[in-house]
Amino acid sequence: MSDFTSLAELVINGNYNGAKDLTQKMIDNGNDPLEIINQGLMAGMNVVGVRFKAGDMYVPEVMMSAKAMSTGIELLKPLIADKDMPTAGKVVIGTVKGDLHDIGKKLVVMMMESAGFEIIDLGVDIDPAAFVKAVKEHSPQAIGLSALLTTTMLSMKDTIEALKEEGLRDSVKVVIGGAPISQSFADEIGADGYAADAASATELCRRIIA
Amino acid sequence: MRKIRSNSIEQTTPLLRWVSEGQIEEIHFATLEVLERTGVKVDHPEALQLLKDAGCIVNENRVRIPSWLVEECLRLAPRKIVVANRKGQRVMPLEKNRTYFGTGSDLPYTIDLETGKRRRSGKRDVELACRVMDYLPNYDFVMSYAIAADTSPKVSDLHQLEAMVTNTTKPMIVTAHDEINMRAQLEMAALVAGGKEELRKNPFMILYSEPISPLVHTNDGVGKMFACFEYGVPVVYTPGVLSGATTPVTKAGTIVLMNAEALAGVVMAQLKQKGAPIIIGGGATPMDMKTTATLYGSPETMMNYAIMTQLSQFYGIPNFTEAGCVNSPIPDAQAGMEAGNGILMAQLMGANLVHDVGYLEGGKTGSLTFLTMCNDYMDNARYMGRGTRIDEETMAVDVIDEVGPGGNYVSHEHTFKHFREEIWSSKQFNSSFWEIWEEQGSKSMEDKAEELTKHIVATHTSELLDGAIREGLNEIIAETEKVKSNK
Repeated sequence: MSDFTSLAELVINGNYNGAKDLTQKMIDNGNDPLEIINQGLMAGMNVVGVRFKAGDMYVPEVMMSAKAMSTGIELLKPLIADKDMPTAGKVVIGTVKGDLHDIGKKLVVMMMESAGFEIIDLGVDIDPAAFVKAVKEHSPQAIGLSALLTTTMLSMKDTIEALKEEGLRDSVKVVIGGAPISQSFADEIGADGYAADAASATELCRRIIA
Repeated sequence: MRKIRSNSIEQTTPLLRWVSEGQIEEIHFATLEVLERTGVKVDHPEALQLLKDAGCIVNENRVRIPSWLVEECLRLAPRKIVVANRKGQRVMPLEKNRTYFGTGSDLPYTIDLETGKRRRSGKRDVELACRVMDYLPNYDFVMSYAIAADTSPKVSDLHQLEAMVTNTTKPMIVTAHDEINMRAQLEMAALVAGGKEELRKNPFMILYSEPISPLVHTNDGVGKMFACFEYGVPVVYTPGVLSGATTPVTKAGTIVLMNAEALAGVVMAQLKQKGAPIIIGGGATPMDMKTTATLYGSPETMMNYAIMTQLSQFYGIPNFTEAGCVNSPIPDAQAGMEAGNGILMAQLMGANLVHDVGYLEGGKTGSLTFLTMCNDYMDNARYMGRGTRIDEETMAVDVIDEVGPGGNYVSHEHTFKHFREEIWSSKQFNSSFWEIWEEQGSKSMEDKAEELTKHIVATHTSELLDGAIREGLNEIIAETEKVKSNK
């Protein structure tokens, strides 16, 4: 088994100590850092994605695999120029104003990070102005808005309006999610997409950013 | 004189206990450890001050609560909370081992009774659900069932209360957007009850407020609770969790964490007002590790509620659990199993307020037909809960002797006298022979329940609320909307 295959296997198994040690060994042996990521760490994570979708792997196992991948990436980051760092895209995400619920959004963050997205998580109770500020600061390809309460989901519309007012709406895709949200609500407020769960949020972002 | 047997113990109803008294104490001590060591986050300034003054260790909004204070507050919380109906009759005493069923609140979607299609919920769905539950005898209390999504979002909770209170006389549990709307609802309730004093004497309304797991007590959640205590209105203060996401994945860990959140609520309540009527418990649902969905109809939830009910009985504080809320998106065989198991467990454990009955798709979709089907599930569970009567009359030795070998019992007076209470019968459940069932239209239980629901909707209205009171309710709603719009 090649080191690359072994590294992918360690990621699939969520063995983060093993992944860290092997990544270090491969660096020391003079392997190309980008190849370690693409053919080792990401290769493993791609298998995880397929297995999760098929129902053969579960969320906590995906989380552990993601942790294994990121321990490796941490070691490789200093060796790669920022512009060469492979990423699926940059997304700003937060739970909207008045809503303190964190877990749904956090699941999305973790699933998307495990799929190679760079995520800026603003946290909970985020007002439209703070989303606007984050879009200006980070220039993401998309922003994700989360709400659990039917009273706070209306703040999603306010956020989209605020982006329009600042002339930022066309530069960024807006995706929304949360228990009371539906596709028809997304259409109604002019969002670019709606995802029913964390896994489909990842796919949605892949699709609309591509 | 009847000659009785010595050393006889009679058990009138079944005795279900999930864990031992010792294990309940173990959970209690673990909970005290969480409160004293990890503590909770409190975002309500008054509560924070009360906790500080009472001897908690407070760092900014992190509060570590000493064991002695928790136990002192547990002693102060009432063991019995009596809830009245809209007419002030004290119909729902929340005491150990008395079980009451009702639906839940705020469903975003409803399967339309006429079209059979799933759509967004509206105020009319709240009205119809309350009328259906007003009619069906096994619903003891109501919640809003649907979200009045077609009303002004700022005061949709007030519209829900208006719809509830005009369409049923049964006791009700409400939700509120925030403290302002809570106070408006309390004014509405006082108007219906005939004044604040009457509302305090015989409250017909309970608030459902929540901490956010893990261990966060929000300004709104605590503020709404405190407002209710000013009016003598009882409060359910319980978290809804996702085991494996917002609590430990283990059942025992879930229970310890939720209990810590509940007991922190008890402490804040009793510090605010000695004897404040607080109800503990919560939604102890795991996360589906494949889909991240909340698993309401799962075996784990029922097992958790069994222990949480025992805990509340150990504390002598009324509790709030959930049953009859299923993950199946339609009222099918899966739904029947999920609902039936939960309802029976709640009944046998003696849980107090059992809510969310008649919910589909993990509490996101409502169906009046399923609500009606659940009435018969509850009837069935209550029947089993009444237990098996064992005495001379029911053992029927004299009758057996009279009929003798080879005779029959069907024409015997003993059968005539007892069959109604000894054999459960339901109009909704199918039990006829195939040919007869075909003759009668080959209807499933769901078909029959749908017919009954349509009949109820077409014919039943609850006792009307006085016109002047209804006007007053609408005035409060309009006034609150104005206040909110100016904010």
